[in-house]
Formats: sequence, structure tokens, C-alpha cells
Amino acid sequence: MSRLLVACFVVFPFAGLFLTFPTSPTWDEAILNTVAYVVAVALINVWLGIGTAWWLLFTESKWKAWVEWLTFLPLFIPVLASMFGMYIALAQVGLIGTYTGVGLVLLVTTLPYSIRLAYNAMYVIGRPLLEQSLTLAPLTRIGFVLFPLMKESVRTIVLFSTVIVLSQFVLVQLIGAGLVPTVTTRLYQAYGGNDVSLALQNTWVLVSLPVLFYIGLGAMFGIWIRLVKGRLQ
Amino acid sequence: MSRSSLWLSLIVLALPFTGVAFLLYETVGFDWSELNEAAWRASLAVTLYVTLTSTFLSLVIGTWLARTIYMRRSMWLASFLKWPMFVPHVAAAYLFYLLFSGGFPVYGLIEANERHHLVVILTYVWKEVPFVFLMVVGTYGQLNPGYLDMAKTLQLKPLEQFRVAEWPFLIKPLLDSFWVLVAFISFAYEVPALLGVTYPELLGVLAYERLTTGLFLNAFESYAVALAWTLFIFSGVIASYALTAKRRRRIERGVRR
Repeated sequence: MSRLLVACFVVFPFAGLFLTFPTSPTWDEAILNTVAYVVAVALINVWLGIGTAWWLLFTESKWKAWVEWLTFLPLFIPVLASMFGMYIALAQVGLIGTYTGVGLVLLVTTLPYSIRLAYNAMYVIGRPLLEQSLTLAPLTRIGFVLFPLMKESVRTIVLFSTVIVLSQFVLVQLIGAGLVPTVTTRLYQAYGGNDVSLALQNTWVLVSLPVLFYIGLGAMFGIWIRLVKGRLQ
Repeated sequence: MSRSSLWLSLIVLALPFTGVAFLLYETVGFDWSELNEAAWRASLAVTLYVTLTSTFLSLVIGTWLARTIYMRRSMWLASFLKWPMFVPHVAAAYLFYLLFSGGFPVYGLIEANERHHLVVILTYVWKEVPFVFLMVVGTYGQLNPGYLDMAKTLQLKPLEQFRVAEWPFLIKPLLDSFWVLVAFISFAYEVPALLGVTYPELLGVLAYERLTTGLFLNAFESYAVALAWTLFIFSGVIASYALTAKRRRRIERGVRR
């Protein structure tokens, strides 16, 4: 019974999506920016997350503990608080109001989670199994060993980075100096203007993007793993 | 491959620390007594209340669910729990706003934009329970059932069983989750700005508004608050990890005599 109640509590907020008919989305600059940021940040997160986790798993360096702390500590810095500081820092190098500046801070917000997720996944798979692939060329190692083994983790990394990127309003507004429109910044404007249909349209986009990416990535991995398994015969 | 990505990661991850260093530099010579203002004091109180309530509830419910799902193997509930993870915080806040902004008479008891911030807490709990669940369920998966069996054999009460056979292993994931959630909830803008009230505002909302209104004239106040709050959380993190270090190490490496 209690489990049923929990399930109802989990599902209930989605009712909000059907309260009013949303206006149909048009493929404009805000959506284009959002999709571009999501794809770029997710790809870099998978690359840097797995690469750094790989180093942490295999290194004999005396700096390992320090690097581990350095990758872990940003999780405990309030994003908005450090953003104020980054705002001053990026202003010095002229990155405020630019697409690069926004992309960079989005990466800063997501990367600590990705490294942790990748490291935990590799730790569970275990060093001995991964050691087998050390003699392979990097691309072969990634394609035939790492990706098939870490399918679920890669999907989770992409999901986390997508959802975090889509959540950022202040960060995009502050670092982008209001010049970089995304679906999230538009949701706020629509909300301010009390346009429920428009706000709901943006909410639909924000909810469906992570789902689409998650399902799409799952399908791509499915096909790839079938191809890789074909090599066994 | 890994070395170049390590260096790139380190450069990217050095940015938040650079940010904190810049905050330090900007607040040199700042008159800290400026923060002794009713708005900031009220903001601190309401921030502590919202953060601690949301974090505590998320930790308890998330752990309870991980335990229940692990013990009863209810995979259907585990897949349901994934759902909120697909919703960005800002979208979750808007969905809760739509449902609780007085549209339905049933929800008269709890309403968005009221000074108890109940809907803010509800939104955070809805979003963070799956996160805590994910952090804790892995520990349950690796837990040696022998400990629980032994506690049962010794006829300990259920609460005692939990305390000796499960709790020691939960300290690490719960401590990690606690600080991630506190850092995240206590200084955020999106959710409390949409669902909160204009007075008292949460720290993140007030700091952002002071920063961006009035031609950045009050910017130093916001910088000072951001810095003080970051250092406060940092000292909490360091103190709590130092205090539990011995116990955690024993759990990780096993008891040595």
C-alpha cells in the first residue's frame, strides 16, 4: 500500500503537463541553442568523465588522492555562489555574453558528477577486466570494450548532464548577459508574462529532451552491442 | 588518452576554485556589518529551514525506499522512481507551480508562493529522493546479508538490527548526499524564485537579485554572502569527513586487530 502511495506521489506532478493545451513548439534559436549545448556538454562530459576516471583507476601517482579530492570538491561548492566568482573571472577574459562562456560554465557544473559516475562504474566493473584492454589502441578500447561495458553509465552521465544543463536559468542569464536565449530562459519570461500555454510548451520541451536522448542513446547502444557481439561468431 | 582528458578536466574543475578566489579578492575591505540587515537575517533563517527540511526528508525517504525496494525486490517501483530524474529542476518547479497555485480547491491547504515554503520543500523532495535512492541502493546491493542474519540470530530489535547491520555502511553515501544536497538547495535560484515569496527570500534568490538590480551597486554584498556561504559549507564538509574518517576507513578496509 505504502509503495503504491509513493508511486502516486512520483507520478502526480506530471498531471501539470496536461492542465492546458501547450502552444506547438517552433524550431527557433532558443531550442537550437538548447539542443546544441545539451549535445556538446554531454559529449564532452562522456569523454572527460571516462578519461579522468580511467586515469584515477590505473594511476600509481602520488597525486591520486589530491586529484580525487579536486574532482570531488566542486560538488560541495554551491553552483550559484561560485558562479558569482566565475562571473568576475570570465569578465576579465571577455567571455561574458558569449556562447563559449556559457558552454564553459555549463561544463563546470556537470563534469564533477560525470567523473564520479564513470569512476564508480569502472570500480564496479573492476580493474582486472579493464586491464585486459590496455594493449588495445585507444579507439578500439573505447568502441569494443569501454562503451559496451559502460552502456548504462554513459546513459546516466548523458542524462545527468542533460538535465543539469536544462535546469540552468541564472547561470545562462548571468554569464550569457541575457544574450544567449535557451528554452529555460524563455520559460522564465513566459512565466513572468503569465502565458501558461507558452510556459507549458517550454516545460514540455524541457521534459521530453532528456527522455528522447535517453531512449535514443539506448537504441544506439543496442545496435552497437549487437554489432560487437557479431564479432564473437 | 586519459592523461590529456585528466589535464582538461583539471583545468575545467579549477574554474570554481578560481571563482572562489576572485570572490575572496573582491571582498577584501568589505564592511561585513552591512550584512547585518533584516532581509539577510530573515533569508538565512528561511534558507536553513528549507534546506535542512528538504535534505532530511529526502535522505530519510530515499533510504527507506532503497531499503524497501532492495528487501522486497519491487523493480516496478524502482523504475517509477527514475521518472523525476528526467525532469529538470526548473520544469519540476513550474509543474508544482501549476498544480499548487490555487487552480484546484483541493490544494487549498498547501499553496505555491506562501511564506512556509511548503511547495518549495515538496518540489525538492520530489526531485532529490531519486538521487538519494540512487546513491544508497548501490550500497544495499553490495551489503553482506550475513550481518543482518547475525543481528537477527542475536534477536535484536528491528531498529537495533538496522543500527548495527546497515547504518555503518550507509554513513558514506548519506554523508556525500547530505552535502551535495545542502550545497545545491541552500544557494539556488530557479525553484525558490518560482515558488517562494518576496519576503523572506532564500539566500540564492536574494543574492542574485541584489547582484543584478541597481546597476550592480549592491554586488559586493552578494559576493560576500556567496563567499561566506561557500566557506561555511566547506568547513562543514571538512569537519564531518574528518569526524567520520576513522569509522569510514574501518568499514572500507575491514576491522584490523
